[in-house]
Amino acid sequence: MKKLFRILLRQHVGNPSIPLVKIGNNIEQGELIASLNGLGSNLHASVCGRVAEVSGQAIVIEAYEEQQKNYKPLSRKGDLIDVIKDAGIVGMGGAGFPAHVKFAADLSGGLVIANGVECEPVLAHNVKQLTDHPELIYKGLLYAMQAVNANKGIFAVKGKNRRAVEALRDVIKDRDIAIAELPDIYPMGEERAIVREILGARLAPDQLPAAARAVVSNVETLARVAEAVDFNKPVISKHVTVAGRLKNGVEPQVFLDVPIGARIGDLIEAAGGIAGEYGEIIMGGPFTGKSVSLDDVITKTSGGILVTIPFPHESRKMGILVCACGASEARLREIADRMGSPVAGVEFCKQVVEIRGNLKCENPGNCPGQAEKVLKLKKSGAEVLLISNCTACSNTIMGIAPKMKLSVYHHTDHVLRTVNHSLVRRLKS
Amino acid sequence: MSLSEETAKHHNNDPAVVCCMTRAGAIIRPADLEDPSLFGELEDSGLLDLSGNVLKIGQVIGAKLIKTLNAMTPITPDAVEGGAGTAEAANNTAFAKNGQAGDTAMAVATGTTPGGTGGVVNISIGEGHDIKFSVVLGGGAVTAVPAAIKTATLKYEDKVIRTLKQREFPVEKVELGRETSFEDGVLVIKEQLCSDALNADPLVKKVSLDIITPENKHVHTNTIMDVIPIAVKTEGKLGEGITHVMSGAVVVLTGVDEGGSQVHEFGSCEGYLDEKIRYNRPGCPDEDDILIRVHVMIKEGTGMERRGVTAAHRACDAILQKIREVLKQAPVAEAVIENVIRDVKRIGRPRVVLVKEIMGQGAMHDNLIMPAEPAGVGGGRHNVDLGNVPVLLSANEVRDGGIHALTCVGPSSKETTRHYFREPLVELMAEDEEIDLAGVIFVGSPQVNDEKNYVVSRLGAWAEGLELAGAIVTTEGFGNNHIDFAGHIEQFGKRGIAVVGVTYSAYQGALVVGNKYMDAMIELNEHSGGFESEILADSTICHDDAARALLMLKTKLAGIPIEAADRRWNQTVIEANNKAMETNKKVVDIGER
Repeated sequence: MKKLFRILLRQHVGNPSIPLVKIGNNIEQGELIASLNGLGSNLHASVCGRVAEVSGQAIVIEAYEEQQKNYKPLSRKGDLIDVIKDAGIVGMGGAGFPAHVKFAADLSGGLVIANGVECEPVLAHNVKQLTDHPELIYKGLLYAMQAVNANKGIFAVKGKNRRAVEALRDVIKDRDIAIAELPDIYPMGEERAIVREILGARLAPDQLPAAARAVVSNVETLARVAEAVDFNKPVISKHVTVAGRLKNGVEPQVFLDVPIGARIGDLIEAAGGIAGEYGEIIMGGPFTGKSVSLDDVITKTSGGILVTIPFPHESRKMGILVCACGASEARLREIADRMGSPVAGVEFCKQVVEIRGNLKCENPGNCPGQAEKVLKLKKSGAEVLLISNCTACSNTIMGIAPKMKLSVYHHTDHVLRTVNHSLVRRLKS
Repeated sequence: MSLSEETAKHHNNDPAVVCCMTRAGAIIRPADLEDPSLFGELEDSGLLDLSGNVLKIGQVIGAKLIKTLNAMTPITPDAVEGGAGTAEAANNTAFAKNGQAGDTAMAVATGTTPGGTGGVVNISIGEGHDIKFSVVLGGGAVTAVPAAIKTATLKYEDKVIRTLKQREFPVEKVELGRETSFEDGVLVIKEQLCSDALNADPLVKKVSLDIITPENKHVHTNTIMDVIPIAVKTEGKLGEGITHVMSGAVVVLTGVDEGGSQVHEFGSCEGYLDEKIRYNRPGCPDEDDILIRVHVMIKEGTGMERRGVTAAHRACDAILQKIREVLKQAPVAEAVIENVIRDVKRIGRPRVVLVKEIMGQGAMHDNLIMPAEPAGVGGGRHNVDLGNVPVLLSANEVRDGGIHALTCVGPSSKETTRHYFREPLVELMAEDEEIDLAGVIFVGSPQVNDEKNYVVSRLGAWAEGLELAGAIVTTEGFGNNHIDFAGHIEQFGKRGIAVVGVTYSAYQGALVVGNKYMDAMIELNEHSGGFESEILADSTICHDDAARALLMLKTKLAGIPIEAADRRWNQTVIEANNKAMETNKKVVDIGER
């Protein structure tokens, strides 16, 4: 049977792209198949094949048995921003913001931060790329600095990733580019947290890093910029970490350049296949990922595919504490439901603010104290807590809840247990 | 919850506890500290132990932490260096706990008063061109009066707006007879009035009347719907002119429906009259009053509806009106007392209002405002029909029976018509020469939240328009109406107007809402267990409560902080406060005159 690749028309912030192909068209890998519509991105075929379906949601390509090695290059025209736009580059760390819009800023001497923090546990593809192909990211950073008229660049990496740091040191030739080693806590990779740590500037939840004369870009995005500029390559693939309850073992496996539109089930098969019963498949990281099915597909923002162990059963009444750095209320309710626990009450961390429909944290990674919220949940009848907090807030809750005879689940528990990762609980003092 | 800079200042002298893990080397900021208002609950849950040598918030801000502390760890001297971390600093804070140090920090909530040191605090009252006053504390000798006071040119003036004469006619005996009459202290009520009263409303099915003498009160009663004074205008309108009032006899309205259900029964005081009334409360019969009991039976199922309840009150008022007619004719010479009360504009004194929140949720939760006769029904407007918006009455209008109460909340916090007729807060505030009572605002408590917001904001507009310096807000009942109550207090508080709240809370009615302006509260609970009993007016405003409320308002007007109350209802706080008022009558003076 021929493999189908389902390329979603919306895989970025903004409007869905407009299909340029019809059913039956034969297309080459790298061919433009949908164009951006206002704020959005161009889409290119990730494989060669025949268009099998065009709908309001996706273009489905039936791949040929034989795939060519080369992609159809971008027709070179215009300046740097045009190339980035043509290539369909979006924020590949998960945000999906169109890169040509972000890099159109003029910082007049500011700073570009290459975000290689990879703060979600388990995920490993960013660090792997930094370690194995640092030169591409370095080039991408230089291009981004040129685009936004910045005079400084910084690689933000967790200090614990020594090999990545060493690899970067080997490629950096410019004195204006440095490496910032950040602590290993979640959510260090959140762009406002990075700006705060590196520049000491605390951005309001609705402010962009530009307010601190900075642009933050994921390392994979920067690598795609370099590919577009140097090799005329459009975005047709994505680096993905696959981990969890797999026959090959629970260790994260990094797949570089997975064709966009690939079925998650196929990727999991490539990683060894699911070992026995499982709880759910998460696309993204343990903190911010969403539950998906085997038939969902890879997009420009897919980072992790995590197969978890079955959910624990919990019949006690659950108090939910929502954090802007973690899962949404809906996601937490979903988890409570799958654990079998009735929800007694829902509270939001004091630092949660809603900005244009999204929850944002006022001061990511710095705990505002959780005693009041835990007391409220206990009063509402909760016997156990399900929290989605960042490392610092989880630490605070662990200093409170057990003494109040409330057991605590973190919404990442089932994922982290799967991969034998230590749970998000108390920090060592 | 970590603290803001502002909140931290308020809690300068409370224990310092880190809210989250705080690393060695950190300079302690308010944001690192837990909110002391949670400590009670945190201690109860076994989470926090403040028994050791814990530093105060004022001592640790700016100090350097020398070891890493986990969430909920009290900061002890061995954990910090630098900052204001000395014992001395804590004692010198302005918010010192009473009895520990503060000369200036009077704490009404715990009942202690400043020692008679005669400390002088300079204050400023916005009214009267912002002239500075001195507040003399503790009734001690004034050691230094700033010269500014002696030379102040502010004019104090009392301007009488209206005068009301209330002539009191004692009732020695009440009996039933063929015609209604009132002669030589004997009130005869025509028996036929009961059947005439059936005409008041088609929902009224049966009316009966009996006379209960003070020594014969062990008789069964249905729910007491109201206690109504007998008064009539002989000259002028409510609030001015002349009113005749009967003393020694009062009407008690009770009700039941044809099916036997107690009328407006949100907690019933059905039982024996001698057990179900807290005699001598403002809203109750007095111990030696003769009770004229009017018992109304209304159509089945209408007892929880406004129309049924209103019908019962109308029937009762029809009987009362006949009695009023004979009282009106009573010879002036037979009056034993003539009270002259005045609405006075006290120019130069802080302008304040009393806000009385009344129920406004339709059904039987309703009051009639400004009836034609004192405490009557006819001519009055239902506050529900007025949209529950704030209505301003003068003190005289209230004292002349401007409110007829159809309210039913639980019996124990229910304010009857007689309560409004002799509301101690109105009397104290109207007579107090240190404040200028602009009026009494009645505001309904609607059921729907949107309407609540509407009404609350209208009160705020009044507060602003009247350029008030202070307000006392009262509410009867508890629960839903506490939402309005908090809203009203906030309206004043956020405009910088000193505000005191008066309500029943105790255990059963513990406040469901709150805001930062609710820092001066008077608890009306008079029940030893802290519960809403089924005894009429058990926990309504008495003279002592009113005096405490007024003193607390004056304390706030003088800019003196009110010490936070205990987290749980604690009767000893009330007792201590009352004792403090007794032993130190003049705790706060507002200005020299």
